[in-house]
Amino acid sequence: MARSVDPKAGKSETDEKFGDISARLHDLDSRLAAERKQTAKAEKPPVQYQGATDYSKGYRLVSEFVAGVLVGALVGYGLDYVFHTLPLFLIIFLLAGFGAGILNMSRAANRTPPTAEELAKMPKPNDDEDEDK
Amino acid sequence: MVNDPIHQFRIHNIFGPWNIFGYDIAFTNSNLFMGIIVLVITAFLLLSASKKSLVPGRLQSVGEMWYGMVHNMVDNVLGEEGAAFFPLVFSLFSFVLVANMLGMFPYFFTVTSHVIVTASLALFVVGLVVVVGLWKHGLGWFKLFVPSGVPIVILPFISLIEVISFLSRPISLGLRLFGNMLAGHIVLKVFAGFVVSLVALGLGGIIGSLAPLFMAVALTALEFLVAFLQAFVFAILTCVYLNDALHTHH
Repeated sequence: MARSVDPKAGKSETDEKFGDISARLHDLDSRLAAERKQTAKAEKPPVQYQGATDYSKGYRLVSEFVAGVLVGALVGYGLDYVFHTLPLFLIIFLLAGFGAGILNMSRAANRTPPTAEELAKMPKPNDDEDEDK
Repeated sequence: MVNDPIHQFRIHNIFGPWNIFGYDIAFTNSNLFMGIIVLVITAFLLLSASKKSLVPGRLQSVGEMWYGMVHNMVDNVLGEEGAAFFPLVFSLFSFVLVANMLGMFPYFFTVTSHVIVTASLALFVVGLVVVVGLWKHGLGWFKLFVPSGVPIVILPFISLIEVISFLSRPISLGLRLFGNMLAGHIVLKVFAGFVVSLVALGLGGIIGSLAPLFMAVALTALEFLVAFLQAFVFAILTCVYLNDALHTHH
């Protein structure tokens, strides 16, 4: 670095020299900014909510399923209570509640992986850009 | 009874019931602890932010981690649009976390072990999701219940399931927190009760009581983990549900 500065300083005046330094400062600034962006991107994945233990994951799935069945039964019983047709809506909504519970559960199970994948994909294009620069 | 595991959840009036609009409204121990929770959160955050040093001390570091964790969570799940909801999510997370943690102190009342408290929080969140969804997308928000690409024959059935699935959100959100806290505290109390009953039997009982004593200690550690995790799960699900309201993809 020192070598590349010396010949320029030799053939130009102090103003030019300052220009050179400010250009180098600018260069340093942009490189620092790029690196900061990169480290910020690299640090993001661990911040993801993957830290939840298996215990809480399992408990979550169970509660999603139970909630679906419960709500189905409650809605069905409520409709029966209003229309005085006791077993009819209870059976229909209980079955629909089972479906909703399984839907809830599959959604809860699938919710985390895509976001992690998306985040893992994100830094790659940025890396390429940095190399091109 | 001394070892009654349910006794810890009993609500009693501190300042006698006043008759307001025909309802008996009293200041209970639950209210007292809600007040304490808010005081603890406010005092801690004010204290930790009071120095504002560039290199954070221990207290400031905890405050920053607390803030930063929720901020990252809102940022990751909701994106830039979600910044408006950060205060809400932070308040919810802090309230639930401090309520759970204060509940771990002996003789303290656990506010979140009552289903009415957690259900109110959950209903508020889901109600907000409906309001935000309708405000952002108008009536088009109801497309959430009509997934695209489904044959018309089974569409009513799928819609019914989607509606029930949506209605089950406040239940699962509230019940999970309530169930975890209630079950954890009861199990702790039962194991601690075993120790007391066994020690009363004499020498053999004292030796035998070592097993439940160990369990009680281990469960206390687990309960601290659960107390944090449940607050975290509550906050993250609030974010996920709000995300559904903000960006309806269906």
